[in-house]
Amino acid sequence: MITGAFLAMFKQKGRNLDYTVLAISVTTFVLTLLAVYSGEPGVDLIYVTDLLCMKLRVDDVGRLFAILTSFMWVMAIMFSFEYMDHEGHKTRFYSFMLLCLGVSVGLPLSGNIFTMYMFYEMLTVLSMPLVIHSYSKEAINAGKRYLMFSFFGASLVLTGFLFLNYFGTTLDFTAGGVLDMVKVSQNPTLVLVLFVLMFIGFSVKAGMFPLHAWLPTAHPIAPAPASALLSGVITKAGVVAIIRVTFYLFGAEFISGTWAHTGLLVLTLVSVFLGSMLAYKEQHFKRRLAYSSVSQLSYILFGIIILSTNGLTGALMHVIAHSAIKVTLFFVAGVMIFKAEIHHVDEVTGLGKSMPITMWCYSLVSLGLIGIPPTTGYVSKWFLAQGSLGLANQIIAYGGAIVLLISALLTAGYLIPIFTEAFFPGKDFDYSSVKKLEPGMTTLIPMLVLTAITVLVGMFPGPVLGFISNVTKILF
Amino acid sequence: MNGNFLLLFLAFWPMIGALIGYMLGRKNKTQRDYFAVFVCAVEMVIVGLLFKSASNSAPAVFEWAGFSGFRIYFKLDGFRYIYAFITAFMWLCTTMLSPEYFAHYRNRNRYYFFTLMTLGATMAVFLSADLMTTFLFFEVMSFTSYVQVIHDESDGAKYAAQGYVAVAVIGGLVMLMGIFVLYTQIGTTDMALFTEAAAALNDKSKLFIASLCILFGFGSKAGMFPLHFWLPQAHPVAPAPASSLLSGVLTKTGIFGILLVGSNLFLHDEKMGVIILCLGVVTMFLGAFLALFSIDLKRTLACSSVSQIGFIIVGVGMQGILGEHNAIAVQGTLLHMVNHSMFKLLLFMSAGVVYMNMHKLDLNDIRGFGRKKPVLMVCFLIGFLGIIGLPGFSGYISKTLIHESIVEKIWLFHDYSNASTFFQIVEAIFTLSGGLTAAYMTKLFVAIFIEKNNTDQAKLDAKKNYMKPMSTIALVASAVMIPVFGLFPQQTFMKVADFGKYFMHGHALEHAVEFFAWQNLKGAVASLVIGAILYLLVVRICLMKKDENGNTIYVNSWPIFVNLEKYIYRPVLAFLSTFFYYICKMLDIFVNMPWALVTHVVDHAIALYPKWDTHKSTAKRIEHYLDDNYSRLIATSLSYGLIVSFAGLVIFMLVMWFM
Repeated sequence: MITGAFLAMFKQKGRNLDYTVLAISVTTFVLTLLAVYSGEPGVDLIYVTDLLCMKLRVDDVGRLFAILTSFMWVMAIMFSFEYMDHEGHKTRFYSFMLLCLGVSVGLPLSGNIFTMYMFYEMLTVLSMPLVIHSYSKEAINAGKRYLMFSFFGASLVLTGFLFLNYFGTTLDFTAGGVLDMVKVSQNPTLVLVLFVLMFIGFSVKAGMFPLHAWLPTAHPIAPAPASALLSGVITKAGVVAIIRVTFYLFGAEFISGTWAHTGLLVLTLVSVFLGSMLAYKEQHFKRRLAYSSVSQLSYILFGIIILSTNGLTGALMHVIAHSAIKVTLFFVAGVMIFKAEIHHVDEVTGLGKSMPITMWCYSLVSLGLIGIPPTTGYVSKWFLAQGSLGLANQIIAYGGAIVLLISALLTAGYLIPIFTEAFFPGKDFDYSSVKKLEPGMTTLIPMLVLTAITVLVGMFPGPVLGFISNVTKILF
Repeated sequence: MNGNFLLLFLAFWPMIGALIGYMLGRKNKTQRDYFAVFVCAVEMVIVGLLFKSASNSAPAVFEWAGFSGFRIYFKLDGFRYIYAFITAFMWLCTTMLSPEYFAHYRNRNRYYFFTLMTLGATMAVFLSADLMTTFLFFEVMSFTSYVQVIHDESDGAKYAAQGYVAVAVIGGLVMLMGIFVLYTQIGTTDMALFTEAAAALNDKSKLFIASLCILFGFGSKAGMFPLHFWLPQAHPVAPAPASSLLSGVLTKTGIFGILLVGSNLFLHDEKMGVIILCLGVVTMFLGAFLALFSIDLKRTLACSSVSQIGFIIVGVGMQGILGEHNAIAVQGTLLHMVNHSMFKLLLFMSAGVVYMNMHKLDLNDIRGFGRKKPVLMVCFLIGFLGIIGLPGFSGYISKTLIHESIVEKIWLFHDYSNASTFFQIVEAIFTLSGGLTAAYMTKLFVAIFIEKNNTDQAKLDAKKNYMKPMSTIALVASAVMIPVFGLFPQQTFMKVADFGKYFMHGHALEHAVEFFAWQNLKGAVASLVIGAILYLLVVRICLMKKDENGNTIYVNSWPIFVNLEKYIYRPVLAFLSTFFYYICKMLDIFVNMPWALVTHVVDHAIALYPKWDTHKSTAKRIEHYLDDNYSRLIATSLSYGLIVSFAGLVIFMLVMWFM
């Protein structure tokens, strides 16, 4: 089923008509939907040996991420129509975008660590042209850095993968873990080290401290739709990989309560704080958003490594929240760039008058990112904090909740002033200078849809929470 | 979704109305103004209709499960009904004043939209019976009212709004922290279960911390010390209808939360009572003291709000301290809340009338404006006499009740030993604050309605059409009840008190309070005498001086450096953020150092092997498909990507080997 989707894309690669591309992405979305709900458990793509076998398997985690990814892609491609007119080289851009789509839909549906690893590397290489699209010196440097970080992370993963072949019973993802406890008992420390290595290796994509440095260089330089996808969706490849590693390879029971557990909790919290703090002081708008991603993605990783129902629910909820919100924020940044040539946050004065709809979207989703009810961010933050308070280690339990809230405060600090300046330019603002800068419909629709999702899922999270509980039920 | 849908309607009708009004306003501004009044009137009518469903034993409820992960849960018991009523009434009055007040403003559509949104949210806060519902609408309210504060967009307004939103966000997050902990401790957010669940808890220390967090969050909205500073900043710069709402209703949402802690979670808890009492005493005195110095009409009223909120919080504190004997304190708290809403509605609207004619608020500029304007004068006078607690006006009733509750506590000690000294001091400060209230209100009244303007009194007297009929109706309607409640307390006002006492777990009154007996009049008289002395000695002598023309003017002799917000809060926050920023920046640079090094080395290494680029390699073949620049890049990147991976692997192997 999934291969069908792939083939469609590979064939169409190179057409430069906007609508063809949109049609392909919509088709992919529909096919993805069909595929994940067809009831078919999956397919084996390439069979080398039992170990090296490209396997696709459908389960709830995969469903969630695959649907989310392909949906965001439709939005981003729609957004690029207008935006990419201004950047140029549409053909190249679209072709790589579609290639990435195929890979990132495949990634969450991988059935074993080998497949996932292959997709992961492919994703790195294929998303690279999106980063260096403008071919400027900074872009190329950013691209290099992106590759370097990703490969380093991948090498850590590879190490873990090789060792795991020895310690595990199989390398297929199995809920609860695949460790062979008899072998593990020979050297449990080594296995924990492996876990930490794989966690950190995959966390490169998810931009966790200490390997976050590629985000603030790569995101601002990429074209807006690409940075939206990089930040909002491609980083989620790291998240889903970490979920697989944590719950489907090593298993929560094995990790829980060890030094690795505590260490990673602290690391994610440091990352949460560091990201927000750096974002708070950053003046370049897209770089601010990139730092914000560092912080928000670490919320998700924190939720995962809490290793409890509440934590994972919060994390998965925040995956949805952060995707919708960050994609919208980068769209807004894109609109600012190509309509008003605004790159820095102190230039937005009065922007709310010239592009009211865009700025409304911005305001609503920023409230969502801070976690103001009734938005998605609030629901996820509630579960994350409950998960945190449920931890056995009291210091980290309360410290975690406090860090989450301080980070929310900083989030407010770096997002709110932008829309207040935009909407309340001051008494002596010259209203005659206001130009209509609102972008066209194809640009507005994705923003509006995602904003609506942010608010509506926040108001009525029931179905989503129900879906997530299917995931958590199996794991805990 | 089940229960009485009218309650849902109360919360969401203004929000729908806001949207419709906004659409209307783009076409026709007059229609929009009337439509806004219509929305508030409908709201008022619905509240009126709900009178029968409001009761303490079987209140109307509405539940919408699953909303935002929890539920929307509304309940209409006596206390909530009173506040739903006041909210609807105040919005109606201020909206009636608005068309005239805003006649020359820009962005009116925005103002109406957010005012009506705030109405819905505020109504929902008062109706909420589940802390999660409260929090949800509390946050919505904070942000929509933010637009009202900043509406003017002057520098002062922007500065004040910044403070307001900072307090709102910090308060909201601290409160959320409190709710997190509360939920882990007692496992419910249903307010009706709070008292029992909290009583059943053995180790209350964490619950105590949670309650302090919640107290902080709600206190920030109420204007409780030390978070009072946003009120005197935000009220003068906000449009008058908005300031009367901020002061009269929005601060009460804060009190609502304080009551939740003081008389639900920690019912009859002496320790919590004393904490709340102390905060209340400081707030009460500080606000009145600040008000005495102010020479800005609305700033004085804002400081006065802080002080009156302090009186209310003293009442809440006394409830906890008195325990089973809390009846008087409960009644006093509730009635003072109602009173303060009425007074501030009236006084701020009067200030609005002054402002829309004069466009100034400095007492020296507006001096003498009220002469020969009987309607405005009577209205202001009623508010003035009410707030200073003159017998015969409703303010007297509630102040007496709170005063009595302190006296009762002193009596309960039976002997005048050291233990009661604390409460005697509280009583003294209470009386003194009453005196200060009388002094600063007299200052306002004398300046506006009795004294003559230094420059151009004739021009002020000539203003005859200073307000339109609709504004007059709003003003008079809000003034009528004050003397009625004051003159016939037992028949009217105490009924209101009985209606609302369930929420605060009030016990039955042991003996009825004789309001017009000398024993009770004594306190009020003491306050008024102190007020008169303060006015004559401090205001007339210290706070006024002669200018070069020989005219007396009001001067603000408040020392400028005594400003908590400007010289403590903002610098401390700025320092903390800079401090942590540098720590984070250093971490950031530190973890990036190896990468920078590797990049450097690899770039140089590749430069040393120029053949890599030109030789027919795999990279060259890719070049056929892609343009030159790109393949070079891929080649470079791939090569050192591999190097780095390999290096990583080697390092890892070494580490493993040593282990």
